[in-house]
Amino acid sequence: MLSYAIATLVSGGVYAILALSLNLAWGGAGMVNLGLGGFFAIGAYASAIATGAGAPFAAGLAIAVVAGVLAGLVVTFATLRLRDDYLAIVTLGFGEVIRLVALNERWLTNGADGLSGIRAPLKPELGLFGFNLFYLGLTTLAALVILLGLQRLDRSPYGRALRAVREDPELARFAGKNVLRFKFEAFALSAAIAGLAGALYAHFQSYVSPDLFAPLITIYIFLAVTAGGVGRPLGALVGGYAVMAFLEAARMAVGYLPGLEPVQLASVQGMLTGLALLLILRLRPQGMLPERIRPAPATP
Amino acid sequence: MMRTPISRRSTLLGTLAVGATALARQAIAQEGPIRLGALVPLTGAGGPYGPNMAKAAKLVVDQVNAAGGILGRKLELTVVDDQSNPDAGVRAARQLIEVNKVAAIIGTWASSVTTAVAPLCWESKTFLTTTSGADSITLLPHDGYLIRTQPNTMLQGQKFGQFALEKGGKKVFFLSPQTPFFQSEMDAITKVVKAAGGDTASLVYDDQKPSYRSEIDTMLRYAPDALILGGYTPDTIVVLKDLFRAGFKGAKIGFGYAINQKLLDSVPASVAEGCYTLAPSPAEGSAAYTGLVKAIGIANPDPYTIQVYDQTNLVVLAMAQGGEATGTGIRNNVRKVSQAPGGAVVVNALDGLKAIAAKQAIAYDGASGPCKFTDRGDIQDSKFRYEQVQGGKITLLKID
Amino acid sequence: MLAEIAQALANGLLSGALIAVPAIGFTTIFAVLRFPDFAVASYATVGAFAGWWVNVRLGMGVVPILIAAFIVAGLVGLVAEHIALRPLRGYGALTVAIGSIALNLVLENLIRFIFGNDLHGYDLPLEQDLNVGPIRVGPQQIQNLGLAAAVLVLVFLFLRYSRFGRAMRAVADNADLSRLKGIDPGRIAGLAVLLGAGLAGVGGVLLGFDTSIDPLTGYRVVLAVFAAAVLGGLGSIPGAVAGALALGVAEELALLVVPATYRSAIGFAAILLMLTFRPRGLLGERSV
Repeated sequence: MLSYAIATLVSGGVYAILALSLNLAWGGAGMVNLGLGGFFAIGAYASAIATGAGAPFAAGLAIAVVAGVLAGLVVTFATLRLRDDYLAIVTLGFGEVIRLVALNERWLTNGADGLSGIRAPLKPELGLFGFNLFYLGLTTLAALVILLGLQRLDRSPYGRALRAVREDPELARFAGKNVLRFKFEAFALSAAIAGLAGALYAHFQSYVSPDLFAPLITIYIFLAVTAGGVGRPLGALVGGYAVMAFLEAARMAVGYLPGLEPVQLASVQGMLTGLALLLILRLRPQGMLPERIRPAPATP
Repeated sequence: MMRTPISRRSTLLGTLAVGATALARQAIAQEGPIRLGALVPLTGAGGPYGPNMAKAAKLVVDQVNAAGGILGRKLELTVVDDQSNPDAGVRAARQLIEVNKVAAIIGTWASSVTTAVAPLCWESKTFLTTTSGADSITLLPHDGYLIRTQPNTMLQGQKFGQFALEKGGKKVFFLSPQTPFFQSEMDAITKVVKAAGGDTASLVYDDQKPSYRSEIDTMLRYAPDALILGGYTPDTIVVLKDLFRAGFKGAKIGFGYAINQKLLDSVPASVAEGCYTLAPSPAEGSAAYTGLVKAIGIANPDPYTIQVYDQTNLVVLAMAQGGEATGTGIRNNVRKVSQAPGGAVVVNALDGLKAIAAKQAIAYDGASGPCKFTDRGDIQDSKFRYEQVQGGKITLLKID
Repeated sequence: MLAEIAQALANGLLSGALIAVPAIGFTTIFAVLRFPDFAVASYATVGAFAGWWVNVRLGMGVVPILIAAFIVAGLVGLVAEHIALRPLRGYGALTVAIGSIALNLVLENLIRFIFGNDLHGYDLPLEQDLNVGPIRVGPQQIQNLGLAAAVLVLVFLFLRYSRFGRAMRAVADNADLSRLKGIDPGRIAGLAVLLGAGLAGVGGVLLGFDTSIDPLTGYRVVLAVFAAAVLGGLGSIPGAVAGALALGVAEELALLVVPATYRSAIGFAAILLMLTFRPRGLLGERSV
């Protein structure tokens, strides 16, 4: 039971980091990334391939971040001039393309088999339980560091400018802000964080495969960000853990429904997830922890 | 060196204390039902298969419980959905292992889910039985905690190749979606066909498309006389419809799990007429197979359903044989019930349990095949049933 | 080689026609409500199942199937939109879009709850292809193409000449201004959803003719539907048709040089190219 709790908290931490990533692009700069799963995948594969070729674990994480940034730049380069709804659809397509590449380029990704036996840092030294505990610490620490960094960014003049870009790009442009550059940077940073989440996930599960990056994971992260409160990093973090708790609870709860076939229980589980997202959007669109917009410090 | 009586006594006491604790622990473990988990795809790509797989596992559990359970305890089956996705699959497996404390996880389907879940199983000493086809799975360092009832793909590829030759195929085309076994299957087919002086070609398609006209044009340009279909039911339906429209005249050979009763129910009769299918199979007239078909109430259950039935039977028998309802118990005893030398042939859990109670050695003969495993957990040798769609019905041609 | 290209063109038009109808549905909703409605995937599935029920349970033919699919999918869309998405409209288009993803998840699983995952097929005969010179064409696919064209004409006439249609265009052009003219945008929005979801449902049936249907029927093609609508310019109905046909042709032509497994990626590449050079799509936006 304890190892179940630890593993679930690690998964929750990965979801929380993904939620922080999405929150930066969506809440921070108003860009909807429906291909989040793709960036997650890129990070996971990049680190798995790099460490498989002999790179140390830390280098794997760094490479995942760089790969995320590069992918983010590719996507934004083509789409930044477009309206947000175009970006949503293009990123959705991007996620699918990443899945196809992972599925078909056997020489790089080992195709549909996936990459197994990805190095788990310190596992031989720490043993199974020790490793899980260590990894819980690592993931939680990563989530907290990213949270603090983003909060800081939020409060900085840069963060205020980003919000101005989100709220009214025309006005921001008029005020002399380079709107495209802000969006470019926010999206790239967001992609980097998603890449890191992928790498952390890969080294914990020791396995990545194209099936992993189904669109469902992106939906879960949207649920996390909306539940937590779009625009507020702490909300995204809490939302990530909350969604993990919800998913686990939903699976266990439907097991107690009497008189239904397994396939019906599975559909109830799916419906619950969708309904939860709809209800939150409706009843508490600002999330559990609403965005706080601080007034700009008075200029002397 | 002389041992004092006191030290001898304390050693004795120590041993007793350890023994007592172990006994107490075992007593706790033996309270309540024996828990088993079925991890099957109820949503996502495996959706067409998972529900019947769950039904097969439940069938065995119900039969055994109705006969009083095993080791004086009832069985309790928890069915969870892996969503055909390794992330959801791993989380669900953790629940089964850590919360439900199952001794075995039965039925994983997608190779990616199995590969992701397998380490959790061997690390926690939970037994895993799978229907996944990827050859890499049994090569994992699973320490005996994994068996698979699906024959490995080299064997299947050979059989496909031989059968295509038999049907007069000199030019054989393999049309398949991207699967973990595409390449090894293709290699095996090619080896067999080339050895007989034939030739092969292949095309890998995207399995989500509503039409494959151009893919089929590409295939037709090669002018094959036998076509092997590597897909699952949903995409195979689209391919078969387009083949029918294109008027393809060569032999069509597919997997038994793809060209199944559900496929026949959902396409016009002429579309699937004449298709050949291959599936792992027990010997002709197998009592296990006919028994399963009668008990589960599905005409022509597909190979995955049949395999889950066998897996559940094997798990139950292995626990009874070893007197130990744990993953390690199953691991240590599964081959004693599947392939004991000179063992009496049994075809279901109930007969097997009676034989075990009578201290007889047994060899389970499954509904999906003989179920004899190598050390790595692969099926040793499987016969295949060759069937053909004739007059809208799946008709047995031969078992070989 | 020339024959191959001609064949690929023909195949592309035929497979594009399959995507065109749901793409019209998607773009109609976008034109009036200004958000990408991801629930069209399950509207298509709902339509496919409604048509299947009428066909297999009541033994009816193609026309009743299409009508049933339109009505049931349209009504399901209308009700679902009213309960689930309408209250979100005040929070912005992106919130509604995300709500529609959640709605899609609910509807897909509702269908699974009722019908299970089993594959179902229509009880309709399948016809073999005809050879026109060196080119192979399917009578049924041509029928699909004709249906898409008919739907396009009907929708076009409806928007151009009916009172509701004119009001819809007015709302699509400028919701505030139309309110001043005494048009109730709420009713018009409902109408657009009815029309859009209904068309998605018809598209689901057309897909079902060529495939088999299950709870994922709409999901499998939704990316292509979006791609077609974006290619043609979001909110433009002729654009959706042009986008779908262009996408179909691009996919099939690309198969001559690109591995078949990358077919879905071709749509994405086409979008990127298009958006880079013509950010408003083939035919521009909003020209409902």
